[in-house]
Amino acid sequence: MLDMRYRNIGISIFVLTALAARCLAAQTTDVIGALIDAAAPGSTITVPAGVYQGHLRITKGVVLDGHGAVTIDGGGEGTVVELLAPNTTLRGFTISGSGAGVDREPAGIRAETGPVVIEDNVVDDVLFGIDLRTAPDSIVRNNLVTSKHLEAGRRGDGIRLWWSHNCTIEDNSVHRSRDMVFWYSEGLHIRGNHVTDSRYGLHFMYSHDTTLEHNTLDGNSVGIYLMYSNRITVQDNVLVRNRGASGYGLGLKDCDDIVVRNNAMLANRVGIYIDNSPSSVDSNGLVEHNAVQYNEIGFLATPNTHNNDLTENAFIENEQQVAVHGKGDLAQNHFARDGRGNFWSDYAGFDLQGDGIGDLPYESRNLFESLLATDPNLRIFVNSPAQQAVEFAGRALPQLQPNPSFTDPSPLVQRPVSLAAGTSSRFNAAMGFVSLILLCVAGAGLWLGAERGLRRKEALS
Amino acid sequence: MSATATVSTPTGLAPSVPTAILAIARRELRDALSSKWFAMFTIAFAGLAIALSFLSLAGAGSSGFAGFGRTTAGLLNLIMLLVPLLALTAGAGSIAGERERGTLLYLLAQPISRSEVVIGKFLGLSGAICASLLLGFGLSACVLTWRAGGVGVGAFVALVALTCLLAMSMLAIGLLISVRSRKTSVATGLALCVWLALVFLSDLGLMAGTILFKLRVQEVFALAVLNPLQAFKMGVIMQMNASLDVLGPAGMYASRTFGDHLAWMLPGVVGVWGAMAMVIAMVLFARRVSV
Repeated sequence: MLDMRYRNIGISIFVLTALAARCLAAQTTDVIGALIDAAAPGSTITVPAGVYQGHLRITKGVVLDGHGAVTIDGGGEGTVVELLAPNTTLRGFTISGSGAGVDREPAGIRAETGPVVIEDNVVDDVLFGIDLRTAPDSIVRNNLVTSKHLEAGRRGDGIRLWWSHNCTIEDNSVHRSRDMVFWYSEGLHIRGNHVTDSRYGLHFMYSHDTTLEHNTLDGNSVGIYLMYSNRITVQDNVLVRNRGASGYGLGLKDCDDIVVRNNAMLANRVGIYIDNSPSSVDSNGLVEHNAVQYNEIGFLATPNTHNNDLTENAFIENEQQVAVHGKGDLAQNHFARDGRGNFWSDYAGFDLQGDGIGDLPYESRNLFESLLATDPNLRIFVNSPAQQAVEFAGRALPQLQPNPSFTDPSPLVQRPVSLAAGTSSRFNAAMGFVSLILLCVAGAGLWLGAERGLRRKEALS
Repeated sequence: MSATATVSTPTGLAPSVPTAILAIARRELRDALSSKWFAMFTIAFAGLAIALSFLSLAGAGSSGFAGFGRTTAGLLNLIMLLVPLLALTAGAGSIAGERERGTLLYLLAQPISRSEVVIGKFLGLSGAICASLLLGFGLSACVLTWRAGGVGVGAFVALVALTCLLAMSMLAIGLLISVRSRKTSVATGLALCVWLALVFLSDLGLMAGTILFKLRVQEVFALAVLNPLQAFKMGVIMQMNASLDVLGPAGMYASRTFGDHLAWMLPGVVGVWGAMAMVIAMVLFARRVSV
């Protein structure tokens, strides 16, 4: 009883202190620490609005709510907020100013136990963003994470999970960070995240049984890279402009039983890259219903790659539709299943029966592409008449024709409809203006010549 | 080209330098526009450019994403084939043609210098070729206006400007051939050889060299960019993508090394070719003892 009263008095005093401190500039996180100390486990604490300097260690399972009006500034040292008790919720904070040295991996928010909920926070100017170490069953939702202004390899990871199973990571935005990376974490749900200007958008290391869906990876070095991770479903993701040195939209390395479905890979250096996946003899990979468009290479795989089924994908206007990474072919993979292959924008066959399946197989015997496999430096000659000349020579002279690296026995003649992400066929007024100017100038030039010609004729007659 | 025209200058007065150049330029423009070869080129270029913009609109149907796909590359290929062909042959035919018909003698009898003749012819033919290109691009832009919401106007304008620069550069090389040639047929033949060399042979040779001698990435880039057509192509890609990374390792090397400087370096290569050809043409023409 007495304790209770003291506690209530204590809370009142602290709240008053907090309110008073709000008016002062030098307000520290000790204020929040005292609020937590005073609260019962499981209670909800609304932290008064304001800026708090220093670091916060949460050692009691409480719900901390900043309502979007609380900033915690670590002052450029160490990890800013640490969640050290299970059943802690951190919501609606702005957290900034972690340390920058990599030796201790300072983070904006670090959880060392689970489950915890981290949601609606803005994490800014930190090395690592949100770091979950052995924090299973946690939820990281709707956070906005931005790293420090460093070169990509020197930044920390925007969101990192280490040995944290069954977590849900959804609707987070990560900009200018290193990776959103998952180590040894199984049974994750990764939905609706948006990663831009980072190194690897979503990166999996030894993390199995996970679903990645509706994520957008735009302008990273690599979109999604799965390594040594099995039984993963990648669906409905948009992978755009991932154009780093390797520049894969989706990369798979030594992964078993992967399903890649309904994704859009647009304008990456390589749409889909497979390096020895599946790696086990008895497992399979499935790539279906994806739109692979405008990439330099649509589908790239190492020659040892086998047991992948590619069906009903649309390969549209990739500079190179399919390529082998090294010497060899892709004969151990199937480019059709149940008599249905893929749609190829450069397919030049026909469909006599009208059953939607081309009567001639699709295979690439492009001489220029086979030269590219010999020496990638030759890519500098793409989009030039010389490239066309080489390709023509390859078609015209059978002895120059390379062997096909793969064959799609039943290519689709119609593009699968499920994909298309809406068209933007709107009126372009600026282009109209340009058109008008160009035509006017051209017209003036022509008139100048024609008028003089007319006068000459008059003079002659 | 009609040979009966004379330079119209105010009677009794020696023309000032710009007046003389302009008079020749106007005559050249008029002659070029009335030639059938020129009309054919204009129609062909406009037709193909319109067709290609329709095609690229169809290609960009899904997600309205205008990537640098095969269809967009088509327009570049078309320009790199046709524009040098027209500009080189037009330039090659101009002075050699007048020489063959004997009208060059009358032209040089006017109170104007030989350099003014070359500059005048260059300006006139540039005007004609650029007008023809602008017509094609203008109609193509008309098609794009109608539906291509996502197409960048800046990149398109850059493409037009670079194409005109390429045409003028090739025209200068054509004039250089023309200055030295006695007959139109020889000049046209030479122009076709140069066209073949620039468009196909140099690139194919460099491709073979890259494979045979295992050229390093900086060597491949340096040798490729010496070709004004490749420089033009890279210049256009630079304007569209702000980087040459679509061109593989050599392109990435260039972007990494030169960065934004590429935006002026690449058109610079094209321009230097033209300027050098122009200077040499004027010097050679001025030094000629006969017409």
